Amino acid sequence: MNWLTRLLPGDHPAANLDPALLEKLEQWRTVPGADLGISHNEKRYVVVNTEATGLDLNRDTLVSVAAISVDRCLVNARNCVQLTLDPDPAAALVALLEFIGKAPVVVFNASVNKQALLNAFDKHLGFEPELEWLDLYWILPSLFNDRHASPARLVEWVESMEIDTFKRQDSLGDAYAVAQLLLAALARATLRGHRTVASLIEMELTRKRLQR
Amino acid sequence: MTSAPDALVVANSAFLKRFSPYNQMEPEALAFLAEHALLGFFAKGSTVLSPDMGQPRYFYIMQRGKVQANQVGSISVTEYSSLTIGPGESFPIGAISAGRPSTNTYVALEDSYVFQLASEDFLALMRISPVFHLYCTRYIANLLNQSRLQLQTTFSQRAAEQQTMTTPLGHLIKRDPITVSPDTPTRGVLEKMAEMHIGCMVVVDAERRPVGVLTQSDLLPRVVLPAFDLSRPVSEIMTSTPHVLTTTATAYDAALEMATHAVRHLLVVDSSDELQGVVSERDLFSLQRIGLRQIRAGIEGADDIEALQRASKDIRQLALNLIAQGIGAEQLTRFISALNDALTSRIIKLELERHKLFDVDFSWVAFGSEGRHEQTLSTDQDNGIIYSAAKETQEATKQKLLVFAKDVNEALAQCGFPLCKGNIMASNPDLCLTLEEWKRRFGAWIREPNPQALLNASIFFDFRVLYGSEKIGDELHRWLLQNARGNTAFLRMMAQNALTTAPPLGRIRDFVVESDGMIDLKKSGARLFVDVARILSLRGEVASSSTVQRLRLSGQKSGISEEELDAMVEGFHFIQLLRLRAQHIETEHDSPDDNKIDPDTLNELDRHILKEAFRQARKLQLRLKLDYQL
Repeated sequence: MNWLTRLLPGDHPAANLDPALLEKLEQWRTVPGADLGISHNEKRYVVVNTEATGLDLNRDTLVSVAAISVDRCLVNARNCVQLTLDPDPAAALVALLEFIGKAPVVVFNASVNKQALLNAFDKHLGFEPELEWLDLYWILPSLFNDRHASPARLVEWVESMEIDTFKRQDSLGDAYAVAQLLLAALARATLRGHRTVASLIEMELTRKRLQR
Repeated sequence: MTSAPDALVVANSAFLKRFSPYNQMEPEALAFLAEHALLGFFAKGSTVLSPDMGQPRYFYIMQRGKVQANQVGSISVTEYSSLTIGPGESFPIGAISAGRPSTNTYVALEDSYVFQLASEDFLALMRISPVFHLYCTRYIANLLNQSRLQLQTTFSQRAAEQQTMTTPLGHLIKRDPITVSPDTPTRGVLEKMAEMHIGCMVVVDAERRPVGVLTQSDLLPRVVLPAFDLSRPVSEIMTSTPHVLTTTATAYDAALEMATHAVRHLLVVDSSDELQGVVSERDLFSLQRIGLRQIRAGIEGADDIEALQRASKDIRQLALNLIAQGIGAEQLTRFISALNDALTSRIIKLELERHKLFDVDFSWVAFGSEGRHEQTLSTDQDNGIIYSAAKETQEATKQKLLVFAKDVNEALAQCGFPLCKGNIMASNPDLCLTLEEWKRRFGAWIREPNPQALLNASIFFDFRVLYGSEKIGDELHRWLLQNARGNTAFLRMMAQNALTTAPPLGRIRDFVVESDGMIDLKKSGARLFVDVARILSLRGEVASSSTVQRLRLSGQKSGISEEELDAMVEGFHFIQLLRLRAQHIETEHDSPDDNKIDPDTLNELDRHILKEAFRQARKLQLRLKLDYQL
């Protein structure tokens, strides 16, 4: 028996999951949650980027998702995944959760990336995993107001920071660009005294409030 | 579909391939680098690496942005004081290969993305990639060059200090003056002058204030010709009111005083008129530069031991000047060697005349460092004789040669080549042998390589003819190479022996020092190169006895690249140069501290290069280890 199947009715997607996947989800659940007070230099973040059939969250479906680990402010090329949802979306999403663990998830433009993922989690696994999310879309203008004082598109940041991209419009290629933006953001944040995950979450909230 | 890590690795290598040396790198090495390089970011103004961070954990390759390298401290390590590093460039090659803290501080000039390769991965990359290895070796060789330039500057300064005519007389006084009181009987004074080999006796009063002098040139007119009564006190014939200068007067003042009054000696006193020493005309001359030609001419024209003793001192002075002029260790040792050869030949010729040995066919052979042309300034004698004689006269000839050799050894000792403590000298009956006897002896060592035989081989196999028939020496060389080469067991034992001393590189500290805190640059430095080179030369049939020649010629035969050989030779030269430098400071001949160096007194750069030199020795040893599966 599993915590999900115990709680949920029989027609829930989780009830139909392969027992091996359920076992993996159970393991993921026991991973300790992110300590938000740890400084960036000792923290592991995971950059996540999605690729969908289109931009309409209600109509379009998720095609692939890429994740790159940014551990202690370093990008390690060996530490990343790119997962396609076809043919087994549940397996892909569980693999993604396994890769992320309980690390804070960093996206660029959560309204698309985070939402698409949460929808997919809900649809294929039947629940929305509890994770800390950070959105560079909001954080970057606060840290690099000398470059773009208000939220800008990913391509604008990439150009402004002269970031090396090897493949645009690909979930992994864009994730790599976002990971490099995160490196810059963490360095700048540290310089400005925002040394922890918590302080970045706070910064994002403030920015959103300011924007409204 | 390629995996995500593969895609990022490909992206990394695509970037690296835009720059040298990565564009020439072996594909698997490039893949290794691209896979292990971690991407990091340094905000403008932040410090990437500094000396106080200790041993660098990463090797940095700039991806984007600019980093500025600034030298720390007063010692200038490289010719630049600050340097901007841009995309594709890397640091700190020297520090990370030497496992030492960086000598520079690296600060991001602008927001910079930097690839970081963990130091163990850097070393692994050096191992798997000849291209990368070469790139780093070249960089370090360049550092070595710069260091040599810097050493030369140091020497110029020291030489300038020593040579200038503005040197205070206090610094020129070499030994405590020998004095007598005014009431000393003249006979006693003359005996003392003869005994001490001095040309000038100072007469002082009870407070050691000079009251007169008696010089050699006074003796004829004042003592001999007038048949002066030698029992009468010296005060009656001395020159009263001698020429006196204070310790703070300069060499120039002294030269002027001597020229004005036509005297050869001046007394030097302190502020209370107490005698401090005597400065001679000769002391002043030695301040001026002595040329190679003059010394050579001096040696050729010398017909007594005193003249040769002077020449021997000049050789030391010349060595100092040559270093000041920027000459490298290789040429310098060659010069010293050439002049010492000339000196030795001259001594042999003089002794030959005395011993009437004109009809004896023999060669005077040098062994050890002299045999390798690698004499430093404190080398004791290692020599022997190869002679030929008809069977019936052999014993008589040998006896004559031994008597002659004894005098040569003594004369060499008087000229500053200390007698060999191990009695490796031509006057030793065991080392005055016919060609056949030498071959038998060498053959026995090769056949039965016991520890003593191996030790002997390490001294005697480095031989060359210094006087007499070169042909005999050539024949012995040929014979030795033919016989040693085939005997793998012997070479293996030699290799084993050569590996007993490891370079003094520490795991935690930079250097492993002896109990007195010193490193013996001969025993655990130069000798490591010398021993391996000897084995390589025996195996590769290289007839030269010089370590550098042996390394180069046998290294080429066994496929070691030019660059690697350059680095090894540079390493050897650097250790030799440090040895020479240590010996200059210790002008005392053959003192036990010669060749020893306290690594803590070395400056940052010297330590760095010395470590690299030891690494080269380790590399040579490793090669030997692999070759003989030891």
